[in-house]
Amino acid sequence: MPHTRATAYDEETHRTSFSPPMLDRYHRQMILPSIGEAGQQRLLDSHALVVGCGALGTMIVDTLARAGVGRLSIIDRDTIDLTNLQRQVLFDEDDVKETIPKAEAARARLARINSQVRVTAHVDDFNHRNAQRYLDDADVIIDGLDNFEGRFLLNDLAVKFGVPYVYGGAVATSGMSMTILPHPQHRAGAARSNVSWTPEQSTPCLRCIFADIPPPGATQTCDTAGVLGPAAATIAAHQATQTLKLLSGNLDAVDRSLYSIDVWENRTRRFDISGARAAGNCACCVQGKFDSLTGQVGTSTTSLCGRNAIQITPADSQARDGGLDLAQMAARLAAHGTFTHNGYLLHGRFARERSNRDEPVELTLFPDGRAIIKGTTEPEAARSIYAKYVGA
Amino acid sequence: MAETIRADRLEIELDEGATVRDALDGLAQKHEAIATMADCLAVAVNERYCPADTTLNNGDTIALIPPVSGG
Repeated sequence: MPHTRATAYDEETHRTSFSPPMLDRYHRQMILPSIGEAGQQRLLDSHALVVGCGALGTMIVDTLARAGVGRLSIIDRDTIDLTNLQRQVLFDEDDVKETIPKAEAARARLARINSQVRVTAHVDDFNHRNAQRYLDDADVIIDGLDNFEGRFLLNDLAVKFGVPYVYGGAVATSGMSMTILPHPQHRAGAARSNVSWTPEQSTPCLRCIFADIPPPGATQTCDTAGVLGPAAATIAAHQATQTLKLLSGNLDAVDRSLYSIDVWENRTRRFDISGARAAGNCACCVQGKFDSLTGQVGTSTTSLCGRNAIQITPADSQARDGGLDLAQMAARLAAHGTFTHNGYLLHGRFARERSNRDEPVELTLFPDGRAIIKGTTEPEAARSIYAKYVGA
Repeated sequence: MAETIRADRLEIELDEGATVRDALDGLAQKHEAIATMADCLAVAVNERYCPADTTLNNGDTIALIPPVSGG
């Protein structure tokens, strides 16, 4: 089963005798007329789901935790790599040494930043089988992902269940962001979110603008194009700002455009997308097809942005009863290289496996059978390694 | 895309009554980077999102907006 842990803020971390009064720490944002004490209380009563905890995700959860968004759920499938530290603000060298999962490292750090906030970390792949469960009663969905397959899934969730979705993406020196208040036409039942808006206030969805998942190789990745920390930071700040507006009840202040910036070229644009839903025939919010959520689209191998790695997700990964025995797996792999395991994962490097680029190959294996094969960008090579050592 | 083409601004001559789709087709013929991306680009005319069948006017500025995937 995927690893999940909540900060026991009220039992363990939260020491009443040393804690500052509840609202004092938010004074500088409460004196903003548009927030006030009422807005702050709304933030404290809110639940934000952040999917993906890389450059965007770490900066977003850092901002939201400090601002006092009462509950944060963080989902990320990956561990922390040395090359993440250039831009992923919550992590440090110790996390890299100890192979800590990103969601778990973020939770531990945020608990020290604001013990009033209840942070739940899910070390898991976000996919159509678990999306609805992780959505739970979230008031907003925030995008920290690095792929469009996952984003279309977030968009489906948002439209089907009536939850605002804040899209963001960053690569090289530029990025874009867009806040989606889904049209209620195809909503299943009552809206789940405490954020409420009228049909007139609704916006186009992500698929009104980008109809299809870009084919492999079509978009730039952090692998091929690199990424500048401040480019991601600018987009993350825009996303976090829209989130604070939504959750504090300032719907009219939300940016309804497609926001685009290149921090190196000093170019900012806000595209007017108000007519996009009416102009098109969006499969999701106009036709009501939720192809990503039903699993009709989606693959079991994913290239990981910036990691020179492939993730393998077995078709039945959620169904495994009790999960893989990592200790047993480590023992089995001992003859093939150096492998260690903790409660969350097994990790190690193969002694004799080399990739087609003659690089060492590393394996990270999770109890649900999911694996990250590092050292290759070829899905087939990764599948082969998985089949050879884990068993497919 | 702009890096591949080595230009962040291109000019194109079109017939009277040409649409966004015509402009995209014309640019895709000249630039492979646009051809490979054509199906997943969003297009804005004068900073406003427009579907492919939108008729263009003289002097319009077309923005080709590729989806940004990283994060």
